[in-house]
Amino acid sequence: MISDKLKKVVLQELDLDDFDFNDGTTANMVPGWDSLTHIQIIVAIEKDYKIKFKGMEILKIKNMGELQALIDSKLAGVSAV
Amino acid sequence: MLHYIDINKLKLLFVFDKTDPLVFTSSMFLFSFFILLALYRLFYKSKPIRIYLLIIFSIYFYYKASGVYFLLLFLITFLNYFAGKWIGATKLGGKRRAIFIAAILANIGLLTYFKYTNFFIQIVNEIKGSQITPLDIFIPVGISFIIFKALSYVIEIYLENIEPVKSVRDFTLFVFYFPTLLLGPIERASNFLPQIEEDNKLTKEMIGTALFLIVCGLIKKVVIADYIGINFVDRVFDSPKMFTGVENLIAAYAYALQLYTDFSGYTDMALGISLLLGYRLTDNFNAPFKATSIADFWRRWHITLSSWCLDYLFKPMQMKFRNMKLAGNALALFITFTIIGLWHGPSWTYIAFGAIHGFYMGFSVFTKKLRTKFYKKTGLADSKVVKFIQWFITFQLVVFAFVIFRSPSLSLAGDILKQIFSFFHSEVFLQFVKGYKLIISLILGGFIVQFLPESVKDKTRSIVINSSMPGKVALLVVVIWVVIQFRFADLQPFLYFQF
Repeated sequence: MISDKLKKVVLQELDLDDFDFNDGTTANMVPGWDSLTHIQIIVAIEKDYKIKFKGMEILKIKNMGELQALIDSKLAGVSAV
Repeated sequence: MLHYIDINKLKLLFVFDKTDPLVFTSSMFLFSFFILLALYRLFYKSKPIRIYLLIIFSIYFYYKASGVYFLLLFLITFLNYFAGKWIGATKLGGKRRAIFIAAILANIGLLTYFKYTNFFIQIVNEIKGSQITPLDIFIPVGISFIIFKALSYVIEIYLENIEPVKSVRDFTLFVFYFPTLLLGPIERASNFLPQIEEDNKLTKEMIGTALFLIVCGLIKKVVIADYIGINFVDRVFDSPKMFTGVENLIAAYAYALQLYTDFSGYTDMALGISLLLGYRLTDNFNAPFKATSIADFWRRWHITLSSWCLDYLFKPMQMKFRNMKLAGNALALFITFTIIGLWHGPSWTYIAFGAIHGFYMGFSVFTKKLRTKFYKKTGLADSKVVKFIQWFITFQLVVFAFVIFRSPSLSLAGDILKQIFSFFHSEVFLQFVKGYKLIISLILGGFIVQFLPESVKDKTRSIVINSSMPGKVALLVVVIWVVIQFRFADLQPFLYFQF
C-alpha cells in the first residue's frame, strides 16, 4: 500500500498530474523518474517526512513498496540497517 | 602437403609472445578455438568436463596474452571468492563492512599497482622535480575489466542482491571466462552465474545469431577499423601538422567510427564466440551515434562500463551530495566520468576525456530546467528539427572528446584543432575524395549502416539464422576471405595534396 503522502511527493517532484503507484512500481515505469530525478525525490521525502536515510538503505530499494516500508520503519523509529 | 604445415608455427602456439596475443582475428585463435569447440561438443554430456575445458582454455588464452600473469587470475579468483563467502556469512554490522572495505582495497590495490604506479611516479617527479625511475611493471592484459568484474561480485553480495556462489569451480569460470578477458564486456555475476547451471543447449537461433555476430564483428574490425586506422587515421594523428584542416577534420570523424567498429566489432565476436559455447553475454553497444544527448550516449556506448560506474560510483556519491541540489548531481557526475576516463589508462588525455564528458553532463544538469521550459513554451518538445539539432550537437561533442582520447598528448590534440580552425583549405576536399576513394567509402558506409533502423539489423539476422547449414558455412568462408584481403592488403600510399 502506497500512502497518499508519498504519492503526492513523487508526483510533485516529477511534475506529473497523476500516476497509478503500487508496491511493485519501479522507477523505470514512471515517466521522468531517472537517476537524476531519483535523488530529488529522496531529498523531498526526507524533507517532507523529517527523516534521514542512510546511503545503503536507498541503494537497496528496488520498488515503491520497499520505499514505503523503509519510510514507515523510519517513522516508527526503527533503523533498517 | 606436409611442407605446408610449418612445425615451428605449431610450436609458437605454446609460446608466450607479448606482441602476439590470441586475438579473435588471428588464425592461431581460430585454430585453437576449433579444437576447443570440437572437445566441447565431444564431452557435451558432462557439464563438469565442459566447465574445466573452458577454464583450461581460458588459462591458455590468458597465458598467450600475458604470460606468467595468468597466476594473477587465480589470485583474483580466490581473493574474491573468499571475500564474498565471508561477507555473505557475516551479519550486518561493522565487521561485515570492514571485510567489504578490505576486499575493495585489495582489488583496487592490485589494479592501481599494475596500471597506475608509474603514472603516480611520473606525477611525483613532475611536482617535486625528482628523478625517481619508473618501475619495470608489466600491465596484465584486461586487468581493468577483470578487476571491475570481480568488484561487482563483492559489491552485489554486500548489498544483499546476490548470494555468494558455492562452487569454487563455477566462480573460477566466471573470472577466467576467456571471451571477456581482453576487452570485456564487464559481466555481472547475476547474469553469468545462473547460466552455468543451465544445460547450455545450442539452438538453431543461437548458432545463427553467433554466426551473424562473428561475421559482423570481423567486418567491422578488419575491413573498417583496422583499414581506416592504418591507412589514414593513424597517419594524421601521428603528425597532424603535415595535413590540412580538412584531413584533420575527416580523421576526427573517421576515428570515432574506427573506435566504434574496433571495440564493438571485437565485442560482437566475443558475444558470438560465447554463444557457441552456450553463454549469453551482455552487449556493450546500442547504436551509440544515434544518441540525442550525452546521457543517452552513455546508455549506448560501453554499456557495461557506464552501468557499472552508475551503480557503484555515481549513485553512492549522489546520495552523499544530495543536499547540494544541482551542484551535488553535477559534482557526482564529474567525478564519475573523470574516473571513467582514468579507468581507460594512466594518461592525462584519458583523464581529460573523462573530465570533458563530466563537464558535458554537468552543463546538461544545470541547464535542464531552462531547456525544458524553453521547449514547453515554444511547443517544440518533440519536433523533428529539435531532435535533429540535439543529435547533431551530441555527435560533435562525442567526436571532439574522442579526438582528445586518441591523441598521444594534450598538445597534439591542440595541434589537430589548430589545423581544423586555422588551416582548413576546403579546396583539398575534392582531391581527398578522389585520392582516398576506398577510405571515404568505408567511412561513409560505416556511418550509414550506423543510422539504419534496428529492423534492418533484425531482418538480416533472421536471414542468417534461417539459412541452411551450407549457406552459413558459405557466408563464413566468404567473409573470412574478404577479411584476409583487407588484412593483407598493401598499405595505401601516402597522399599529399596541392593547396
